[in-house]
Amino acid sequence: MASVYIPVQGTEEEVRVALDQLPADASDILDILKAEQAPLHLWLIIAREYFKQGKIEQFRQILEEGSGPEIDEYYADVKYERIAILNALGAFHTFLGKVERAQQKEVHFKEATQCYNRASRIDETEPSTWIGRGQLCVVKHDLQMASDSFKIVLDEDGSNFPALLGQASVYFLMGDAEQQHKKALDYYRNSLDLYKRALRAYTSCPAAVRLGIAFCRYKLGQPDKARQAFQRLDPENIDALVALAIMDLQTNEAGGIRRGMEKMRRAFEIYPYCTLALNHLANHYFFTGQHFVVEQLTETALSSSNHGLLKSHAFYNLARSYHSKGDIETAGRYYMASVNEISKPQDFVLPFFGLGQIQLKFADYKSSLASFEKVLEVHPENCESLKAIGHIYAKSGENDKAIETFKKVTRIDPKDHQARNLLKKAGEKIPIELLNGIGLLHFEKGELEMAEQSFKEALGDGFWVSIIDGSVGSSVVNWSIQYRDQSFFHQLEEEGTPLELPWDKVTTLFNYARLFEELHDTVKASLFYRLIIFKYPDYIDAYLRLAAIAKEKNNVQLSIELIGDALKIDDKYPNALSMLGSLELQGDETWLTAKEHFREAKDASEGKDTYSMLQLGNWNYFAANRPEKKAPKFEATHREKAKELYSNVLKQHRGNMFAANGIGILYAEKAQWDIAKELFTQVHEAASGSIFVQMPDYQNCLRKFFYNTDATILLYLARTHYEAEQWQDCRKTLLRAIHLAPSNYLLRFNKFSASTLQKTKRTVDEVRATVSELQNAIRVFSLLSVASTYHSHGFDERKIETHIEYCKHLLDAAKVHRDAAEQAEQQNKQKMEVARQIALADEARRKAEEQRKAQLERRKQEDELKQVMQQEQHFERVKEQWKTSSNNPGKRKDRSKHEDEEGGSEKRRRKGGRRRKDQKTKAHYGEEEEDEYRDEPEAEDDYANTARSNDGDDSEKAPGHLLAAAGLEDSDAEEDDMGHPQSAIERKRRAWSESEDDEPVQRPVQPSAGENDLSLIRK
Amino acid sequence: MKLAGLKSVDGAHEESIWAAAWVPAADHRPTALLLTGALDETVRLWSPDDLASAAAPARGHALGVVSLAAHPAGAVAAAVSLDSYVRVFDVDSGSSVATLEAPPSEVWGIQFHPKGNALAAAGGGSGSVKLWDTEKWKPITSLAVPRPEGARPDKTGSGKFVLSVAWSPDGKLLACGSMDGTIAVYDAVRMKFLHHLEGHHMPVRSMVFSPVDPHVLFTASDDCHIHIYDAKEKSLIGAMSGHASWVLSIDVSPDGMAVATGSSDRTVRLWDINTRASVQTMSNHNDQVWAVAFRPPGGTGVRAGRLASVSDDKSITLYDYS
Repeated sequence: MASVYIPVQGTEEEVRVALDQLPADASDILDILKAEQAPLHLWLIIAREYFKQGKIEQFRQILEEGSGPEIDEYYADVKYERIAILNALGAFHTFLGKVERAQQKEVHFKEATQCYNRASRIDETEPSTWIGRGQLCVVKHDLQMASDSFKIVLDEDGSNFPALLGQASVYFLMGDAEQQHKKALDYYRNSLDLYKRALRAYTSCPAAVRLGIAFCRYKLGQPDKARQAFQRLDPENIDALVALAIMDLQTNEAGGIRRGMEKMRRAFEIYPYCTLALNHLANHYFFTGQHFVVEQLTETALSSSNHGLLKSHAFYNLARSYHSKGDIETAGRYYMASVNEISKPQDFVLPFFGLGQIQLKFADYKSSLASFEKVLEVHPENCESLKAIGHIYAKSGENDKAIETFKKVTRIDPKDHQARNLLKKAGEKIPIELLNGIGLLHFEKGELEMAEQSFKEALGDGFWVSIIDGSVGSSVVNWSIQYRDQSFFHQLEEEGTPLELPWDKVTTLFNYARLFEELHDTVKASLFYRLIIFKYPDYIDAYLRLAAIAKEKNNVQLSIELIGDALKIDDKYPNALSMLGSLELQGDETWLTAKEHFREAKDASEGKDTYSMLQLGNWNYFAANRPEKKAPKFEATHREKAKELYSNVLKQHRGNMFAANGIGILYAEKAQWDIAKELFTQVHEAASGSIFVQMPDYQNCLRKFFYNTDATILLYLARTHYEAEQWQDCRKTLLRAIHLAPSNYLLRFNKFSASTLQKTKRTVDEVRATVSELQNAIRVFSLLSVASTYHSHGFDERKIETHIEYCKHLLDAAKVHRDAAEQAEQQNKQKMEVARQIALADEARRKAEEQRKAQLERRKQEDELKQVMQQEQHFERVKEQWKTSSNNPGKRKDRSKHEDEEGGSEKRRRKGGRRRKDQKTKAHYGEEEEDEYRDEPEAEDDYANTARSNDGDDSEKAPGHLLAAAGLEDSDAEEDDMGHPQSAIERKRRAWSESEDDEPVQRPVQPSAGENDLSLIRK
Repeated sequence: MKLAGLKSVDGAHEESIWAAAWVPAADHRPTALLLTGALDETVRLWSPDDLASAAAPARGHALGVVSLAAHPAGAVAAAVSLDSYVRVFDVDSGSSVATLEAPPSEVWGIQFHPKGNALAAAGGGSGSVKLWDTEKWKPITSLAVPRPEGARPDKTGSGKFVLSVAWSPDGKLLACGSMDGTIAVYDAVRMKFLHHLEGHHMPVRSMVFSPVDPHVLFTASDDCHIHIYDAKEKSLIGAMSGHASWVLSIDVSPDGMAVATGSSDRTVRLWDINTRASVQTMSNHNDQVWAVAFRPPGGTGVRAGRLASVSDDKSITLYDYS
């Protein structure tokens, strides 16, 4: 056995002290140590030996003596040993502070702090002092301080093992304390790093390091690595075993749980006093129903630990066991014991719930309430506790509170029937308002069936039942005068049908009607509203709902009348005024009064109703584009006003996209493209997922909101396809749109414009198809131009003629194409020159035929020209009508879209100007041109004028002129393309893939064929 | 009454299917056949019970088929495509019989006279119904749709835009539905305009007369409602609501007890005419249902009721109606 030798002062002799035979009284040793003035490290060794033998008192005595003032004086120059003694004492107090209860804790911490302070005074750079201090801070949960302390050490010596461990554990604890998951993960990662460093610094480190690594891995969500780390440890290591077992248990699978329990059991066999394992085992046996084992295990657990939380768990297990056995009294006591072990309910809330239940059983409502409230502190939405509390309130006669609580439960979990039943028990009768409320909650959550149930229950018996079940309904009511006719109810009353509608049920009835609307059963909904109006003619919202239904059915006249009825009741009702305004904006004659109503709505809501402000802005914008206000002065004023209004809205609601969009449009109209573009981009970002975005989004949007019935969006989609050069898709989308909105000639127009522009065909078949399609297009355009004498459908016939011209030219070009393609197929490798010659020959042969055809066409055209001349005097009127229809509010959205894209294409135009042959640019020109037709009257006028003057010119030359003017077509460029079919296809493919990636607005101009390779490299 | 799904053919066409019609059994052919037309510019023929393809797809219906109608004798059928042509063809051989055009405008819905001696077509923007005889395929007349008295000013222009037509089973009435929701009724014997039916304010895309009561007209409109009119007496006798979006197509069962509707809300609904309530909702399609059609009675061994529906999702579904 090891011994220490204390040198006897003044001699060469030494006193041998066998370490395993230290005297029970430490004073004996101390006397020797003092008398012989033994070196301080001996003091420490002896003290440590006492500690190892569990003789805490002696240990403490020696250390306290060893750190006394005389020692300081005597051993003044022995720094390290004095520090070591102080630190040992500090660590000892830290430990005591950790295990002791609240009051004692502080005393120990204080002493520990003193020890470290003194140690620091001796030498403030001594790392072990800082480490001790850090540990003290950890125990005191002052993690930041702890971290600082460890850092001081680590800054000096990066591989200081204890400091590394300390810092790692600090990080780990910080991770535990961190609320934000992401930050917490960062901490765990830091911690893991430090543990790894520690492992490297001291490879034969204790198991704790590997445990730390494993725990970090676990916390970082790397269960496999954690498992490996645990398994790398000694298989007998209890902590690892328990941790592994817990991981197994958490898999929540039968196999995992079984494995977990086996590991727990093994841990229990190796070391039967691990509280954690005991608790888990007890928990397990509780669920398997072996209560006897539970009791035994928990008792062991209780005796083997003095850790509060673990003890609390143990007590809880025990209490639960008794509780389930029906021994409520004992259970209550143990719950209490468990609760007493917990410092704050956040740590372990379950016993409070149990305690509450027991207290409830014993009718100790007050304490029970307190217990459940503790649970709610931690889990504010716990339905079970809430129900219990509601029950308590009900029992103690506080019905209001009870109902309040039950309501809360039904809100949190609307499917909870128990709550409603309890509610029924609480009051003799469930108040209608409550059922109405519950129904409304269901309604808001979209659980329409549940909502219906509640409403039905709330309404009880009455006339409405016959409406609901359909016995009074569509078959009885005289439908020829819908919605406003009340004679039906009078008639019923005369027949003796009671039509009572108690006042307290009106709201519910109204809500039920809203529900019917949501279920698309508008017939029943409108009957309800009408019943409400019949009994309570002042119920303004019912009028408005009826008006909304009428509006939905596009019955504008009736809708306006109904709003009129509503306004008779309250002529300042902002909603009604806004609605009236927007209805009037749609009407042709009434748009002027719309402004008044928006303004009134705004005034009535004291300027707080952004909707009416926005509408006023829209109105002003609308007015600016009205033809009769064409005077530039008015236009400018209106725009200015619109801008002001939009800005005001934006001031109130920074995120209002509509207002931002409106301002964007205004800037765009003023040709301030950069600002407009920026605004639109912002709107896009804000509205991603709404209609202003990319192709897949269009499709989603269509599906989501419009059941694929919005032709305008299809138009955008077509446009996106168009930009992506997916001609076929574009064409199909347009056809779909036409199918949806047959009377929208605009679509038709677009369709054929689009199909005429698809000239990237390659194979002979495709070119042939194009040719036939072009012929088709010519026919349809001709049809359109004829049809336009019947209608004014948004573009005048001269434009169509222009397009016919264009198509014809294209047709010619396409024929050249066809030849070229045929040639290319036959003689793929022949030089372009030769192909051209043959093509020319072919052309010459065809010329006669074409001439004949052209003459025919020309004659037809001249007829049309005559028509145009006849219509010259009506032109202004037609144009105005067109503007009306193209600027109607329904199109506002698509306006913005187009203008937005114009903003983008404007830029392209500038760039593209240099590259006349560029196909892509050409395509944009075509598209842009249409935009201008549709959206910008001025531009359209200009264009039409040019077109006209060209028409007057030598018609032989006209197409070429036209196209040159529009920058549309250049057959040379195409022939270039034809010359390199392979590379062109390749290019197209690449262009496709690129175009799919890029936003259309940002997409750079596609280079012309010649520059193709270069620019691709540049990209 | 109920519907039970029998068979569904996914990808029956390459693109959205827009039109469907049953070709009745004929002397030379014992069973009815189902015709479908789609955006893929083809018309296809299907056998009645297993939806097996009964003929090669007929191509050339440029720009997509919007409407189909079969002659009651079961020999010929007509298809309308967006290129404004009405192509009349022999059902069994697929050969073209006639190509009709209705200048100056396009054509939308078409319907054969119940006796088969005339074909009526809704003339779209021309605001008229065109009639052809079925012997020589010569135009008989063009019935203009007058503007109703005191009508609302129409933004889109001076005339009507006509979308759908329907003959009464006795051939005495001809109804014509338009974009603005009004329905014009004609005396089909004297070819005279009678009156307008009001109530809808959105496009009426499909109409059908009851087979049991020749005055009763069922209409499907974009306002999500189905209206029941007495076309003779000019009165609205009922309305049914329940679809969440446009009602695109309507057909009445041969027994006159039920109507089926197809809607943009992707469902097919069956309605009981007596209770005026929706009795069943089929949601097997995942895009808008463009057409529904009950199989006409007749033919050998065909007693069971059949309903077919076609959709933008490129599928055809066949239901048993009982």
